[in-house]
Amino acid sequence: MTNGWIDIKNTDVMLIMGGNPAENHPCGFKWAIEAKKNRNAKIISVDPRFTRTSSVADHFVQIRAGSDIAFLGGIINFILSNGRINKEYLVNYTNAALIVKEGFKLPDNGVFSGWDDETKRYKDISTWNYEEGGDLTPKDAATFAATASTLVKPPAAPAAKGAAAHAAPPPKPAKVVKPAAAAAAGAPATPPPPSLPPNVAYDLSLQHERCVYQLLKKQFSKYTPENVSKITGADPEKFKKAADMFTSIRDKGDTKKVGTIIYSVGWTQHTYGAQIIRTAAMIQLLLGNVGRAGGGVNALRGHSNIQGATDMAGVFDILPGYLKLPVPADKDFNTYVTRTTPKSAKPKEWDSYNYWSNTPKFAVSLLKAFYGDAAKKENDWAFHYLSKIDRKYSWAEIWDNMYKGTVKGLMAWGMNGVAIGPNSNKNIEALKRADWLVVCDIYPEETSSFWQSPGITEEEQKKINTTVYRLPGAGFAEKDGTFVNSARWLKWKYIALEPPGDARRDHEILATIFVKVRELYQKEKDDPKTKFPDAIRDVSWQYVNPKAPTFTEMAKEINGKALADLKDEKTGQEIKAGQQLPGFAWLKDDGTTTSANWLYCGSWTEAGAQSQRRGQEDPSGLGIYPNYAWSWPANRRVMYNRASCDLNGKPWDSDRTQVKWNDALQRWAGNDVPDFKVDSHPKDHMGPFIMTPEGTGRLFVPLAGMADGPFPEHYEPMESPVENLFHPKQSSSPVAKSFKSDKDKYGTPKDGFDVVCTTYRLTEHYHYWTKNNPVNHQLVPEPFIEISEDMAKEKGINGGDKLKVSSARGEYYGKALVTKRIKALQLGDDKKKVYPIGIPIHWAYRGIREDREREKGNTTYLNPINMLSPAAIDPNAYTPEFKGFLVKVEKA
Amino acid sequence: MSNGPLEIKAISGHSGPVPGQDVSRDYDVCKLVDTTTCIGCKACEVACLEWNGYEFRETTFDNTYQTMPDTAWNFWNLIRFNEHENDDGTLSWLMRKDQCMHCEDPGCLAACPAEGAIVQYKNGIVDFNQANCIGCQYCVTGCPFDIPKFNNVTKKVYKCTLCSDRVGAGLEPACIKACPTGCLHFGSKDDMKALANRRVNQLKEAHKDAGVYDPEGVGGTHVIYVLHDAKNPEKYGGLPADPRVPLMVRLWKGPLKWLGGMGMIFGVLGVFIHRVKYGPKHVDKVEEKRP
Amino acid sequence: MSGGAVVRPSISIPEEQVVRYTFQERIYHWINAIAYTYLLTTGLALFTPHMYWLAAVLGGGPTIRFWHPWMGVLYMITIFWMHSKWKGDMIATKEDKEWQKHVKDYVENRDDKMPPQHRFNAGQKQFWWVMFYGSIILLLTGIVLWFPEEVPRNLMWIRPIIVFIHSATALLTIAGFLIHVYMSVFVTPGSMKGMLDGTVSANWARQHHRLWYEKITGRRK
Repeated sequence: MTNGWIDIKNTDVMLIMGGNPAENHPCGFKWAIEAKKNRNAKIISVDPRFTRTSSVADHFVQIRAGSDIAFLGGIINFILSNGRINKEYLVNYTNAALIVKEGFKLPDNGVFSGWDDETKRYKDISTWNYEEGGDLTPKDAATFAATASTLVKPPAAPAAKGAAAHAAPPPKPAKVVKPAAAAAAGAPATPPPPSLPPNVAYDLSLQHERCVYQLLKKQFSKYTPENVSKITGADPEKFKKAADMFTSIRDKGDTKKVGTIIYSVGWTQHTYGAQIIRTAAMIQLLLGNVGRAGGGVNALRGHSNIQGATDMAGVFDILPGYLKLPVPADKDFNTYVTRTTPKSAKPKEWDSYNYWSNTPKFAVSLLKAFYGDAAKKENDWAFHYLSKIDRKYSWAEIWDNMYKGTVKGLMAWGMNGVAIGPNSNKNIEALKRADWLVVCDIYPEETSSFWQSPGITEEEQKKINTTVYRLPGAGFAEKDGTFVNSARWLKWKYIALEPPGDARRDHEILATIFVKVRELYQKEKDDPKTKFPDAIRDVSWQYVNPKAPTFTEMAKEINGKALADLKDEKTGQEIKAGQQLPGFAWLKDDGTTTSANWLYCGSWTEAGAQSQRRGQEDPSGLGIYPNYAWSWPANRRVMYNRASCDLNGKPWDSDRTQVKWNDALQRWAGNDVPDFKVDSHPKDHMGPFIMTPEGTGRLFVPLAGMADGPFPEHYEPMESPVENLFHPKQSSSPVAKSFKSDKDKYGTPKDGFDVVCTTYRLTEHYHYWTKNNPVNHQLVPEPFIEISEDMAKEKGINGGDKLKVSSARGEYYGKALVTKRIKALQLGDDKKKVYPIGIPIHWAYRGIREDREREKGNTTYLNPINMLSPAAIDPNAYTPEFKGFLVKVEKA
Repeated sequence: MSNGPLEIKAISGHSGPVPGQDVSRDYDVCKLVDTTTCIGCKACEVACLEWNGYEFRETTFDNTYQTMPDTAWNFWNLIRFNEHENDDGTLSWLMRKDQCMHCEDPGCLAACPAEGAIVQYKNGIVDFNQANCIGCQYCVTGCPFDIPKFNNVTKKVYKCTLCSDRVGAGLEPACIKACPTGCLHFGSKDDMKALANRRVNQLKEAHKDAGVYDPEGVGGTHVIYVLHDAKNPEKYGGLPADPRVPLMVRLWKGPLKWLGGMGMIFGVLGVFIHRVKYGPKHVDKVEEKRP
Repeated sequence: MSGGAVVRPSISIPEEQVVRYTFQERIYHWINAIAYTYLLTTGLALFTPHMYWLAAVLGGGPTIRFWHPWMGVLYMITIFWMHSKWKGDMIATKEDKEWQKHVKDYVENRDDKMPPQHRFNAGQKQFWWVMFYGSIILLLTGIVLWFPEEVPRNLMWIRPIIVFIHSATALLTIAGFLIHVYMSVFVTPGSMKGMLDGTVSANWARQHHRLWYEKITGRRK
């Protein structure tokens, strides 16, 4: 979330799409209700079915699962054609005015420029970049007048400070435009890969035909309400009402009101999931909603600590704090940080904080935390101990590798790989081929029981040679430590009860394994067969009990400490060696600081655990609660909050002031912690988006930022009932990853797979655990499949009938829930009738119901839902397409 | 049923003055259920089960999100899910938390013959005391909301207590505590009515028939609803439009009781007077000739 | 026709006796009477709080709730048995109309003015039919009250009606019961003996049920 849960109460309108917070985040959803009750805020719910969220929404639109970019693209088109923008914000805080390289081509035929049809990849993305050249704003009077209010000023000379420099500035002399060809010629023809130009060209009047704004207009002109309707199946009037309702906050030039976009895995779980979220971010940038109380783009995380898992590198290609993992080409530390540290790339007259320029400080402090004294300047801070990633090790790829036989074993902690899927049949088959499997869980779940999955006979079970180790882990209430919620709060929790029986806290099991492995390395260090023992031997493991580190020890370690006496020259503040660091601004690249995650630096200071704070004060009334828990980064609650003010540093809405420029103090201050260089005067024109080298929000993502193109484009899911309306020849995303094994099959309407299936969770259950809990089991006892009334009528299905749902990959069984909440869709020019269905994910073959059925000998109805879903993944986030795949439905 | 320090207003099956008066602080309590912001998450169902110590019971999928068709003796709080197609083509998925309404004029109490089996506290809570319950289920007959539920093993009737034990200790009912969206409120009846009316005024913008459900027929209730469509409460899973204590129960517990009582008294009196006035019949002794 | 035989005592006794009720009839009557009394007292306890003390006397609320319906079953068995035995005697005859005309004489003990009667007079017949049909109503409504949880939800509305009918009918039978007990105990000496010993004096029989007396003895005046 750019904002936070409580902040939702400050909004005027909510677009809830790709998520069902009333169902899956009922506690957080209270803030949506608060906004509704206290601000009369409106909720727009867009979903493949009428959900619990829709039940309290002011407007509901049903769309086809997987057509989200079309719907959001339609909103962008609506914004642009109706002038529903915050122009000052758009020109100054986003890259709308920046000019894109000549030769950049929009995906009219389904691909952007640089596509190589032979190798089927984007071979040359050098045109996905800004033009170099400075101010190209036409200088005639008319355009000047049009842009006067938002015109950028050159960096103020000290003498100009305090003067009435905020009035219309004198027109600057026109710059000589460098021919684009010349710029291109200046660039080397071969790698190193293209980088952003240092002096980006811009046109503040937004008239230049290659400025981002004009390209955006062109790109989204085809997303008309009619086309949106043909793709999504939404009624055009209902779409228009939704677009109008959400963008009404910018009606008639209003800049006070604010809207928020709330989403969840309904957006991420597509082969173009990251681009859906980008489309939403673009809407928010156009409307000027990012950085503002009650605004932002807000991801609702699906587990209590998934945000923490991501921050701490629960993703294969990052290190804690979103530092990039080294690749084999990073031959030394310097190469690595040069590659991963972005250089400021902006119009010359603008300013950019480019906070990622601190990457070396974060990286050295991280290596010091990992390897302690063994990380020295002389050995490149032990950089070579880090594994260098040679290929993708994403979730679906791990299973594919195991299926192919290259991965021989799996340690599964805190997840249930078979049930999670996708393509569970393949995962089960992969586990059959593995040598060993270690599962640490609190229940005997599907993964550790993969050999008991439906359809495996006793004869076949005898032939499975995988050795399975089940380790009894501990539940969440049996551990302390922090949870990091969607609002990025680190909140300490306490142990409610001890783990039962032989169960142990998961990290203690892991620590014991580590200590054992290290002992082996030490014992056999002279054995020539022992390879590369240093990386294990030199790990910093400074815990009182090495086999059972406490979470307190680890939390302090993650925060980091000073290794030498430090002094801030500006403030005179001193930190003694050994003291906890108060924040990441103190991190150094000379080895005098440690921090195992720079983002969490400040969470456990000399003042104690900030995550344990429970202060109830909220002086602003905006729900900031600055003394409650601790929010990364630096305890700020709303990210990019500089953007909540206009160019002069005055809040767009003074009733919702987060920070503002304080002229007396000559710094940014307010209710929240400024997410900005605090002493950067508004006249300096520093971009509020301090994490991009441009300092602006990106409507256009240059270079390799997005694997599937600088702008979002509507693509069909890997399995789609219709062809892409815009470019039937390139129906699905050209760069979506799918697999080639015999288990990776895809269905088409021609083969009878003509029903669009989407999957989701229920309030009553939590993933694949709560089927083991009697009360949850009582609330919803068995699997069901939601189908529309007309589909039920056509197929002669009554509510409660047993259904068989099959995809090209597997089958699923459940009872029919016939509902008015899902309706048949009409798609395309020929109004093709398509039935959508929905299936909750929670059941499989282990649990109260499941174990009972098995005892009775009924194994037919115990398939995991993800036997249906395809292992097709997003090229940016590697998330599988759990939503919007094709199935057929029959009575069982 | 708790023994919380609440002031008793009325008890069932009792002829004389009410015992246990003036025990504790009381005010007119009320639970407000705003169905327009309820998301049907069932937290209240679970909180109710857990606070009252009722365990798991088997359920079956029944073509709905609703946990079970009806409340049960050990499941007092049920969210009723109803899909409703509106005249303008939009859909409503109505979710209503069903539980005892704690009527001001409780039909259950009127119908109950067992002394002290049903207690109405001054604060409005109507509570069952199973120790005194005889299992006749007249309360079920008297209830216009079909709330009291019989347990065939214990032969007693059970229902929502409005957490009289918690309320007596100054806490809110468990369901209120658990509600994540704040669609449930608890406080004095006046405050809840004010809150409900404020919400209704807000709703009128989009729902012209929005209103508060506080039925007069049972003297008002201590559980009130905010409904989008107060004119058709039936569509919220059978909420009666005009609930009343059944006429026959009124006649039975009113005129019939008095007529019957009077009839019996006058009957005994009548035959007594007859006996005094006319005495017994005499048999004339006639000796007949034997055959 | 039952209960008709003349006892010819071998020794002299003060009065000649005729059998009015057989042993079986008497047993059933008294079982019925005890059952009714229990039903009456427990019913009254459940009917009005003023009489709920009876519940305590009779073992407590749950106890009477348990036994009341079972006692009702016993009561109904005896009712049906008595009906099978007496239904012939209970059929209305032309003499009943005569009796009805003289009811005031009957009430005011001017028995000499009463027309001759069969085994049961019109008042007794009326009492019987009130009890018989009343009991059937009480049985039918009682079954519903016994198992109210089995009433389908859509028929819930009948339950208040049923409970009202049950109570009202019970009150009606109580009226009959009161007169019946009063008549037999306080007004008509010899009737209690008839139900206890089974015999009544010939004089009693002749005076109250002359036609029956003549029939069973074959005597005519």
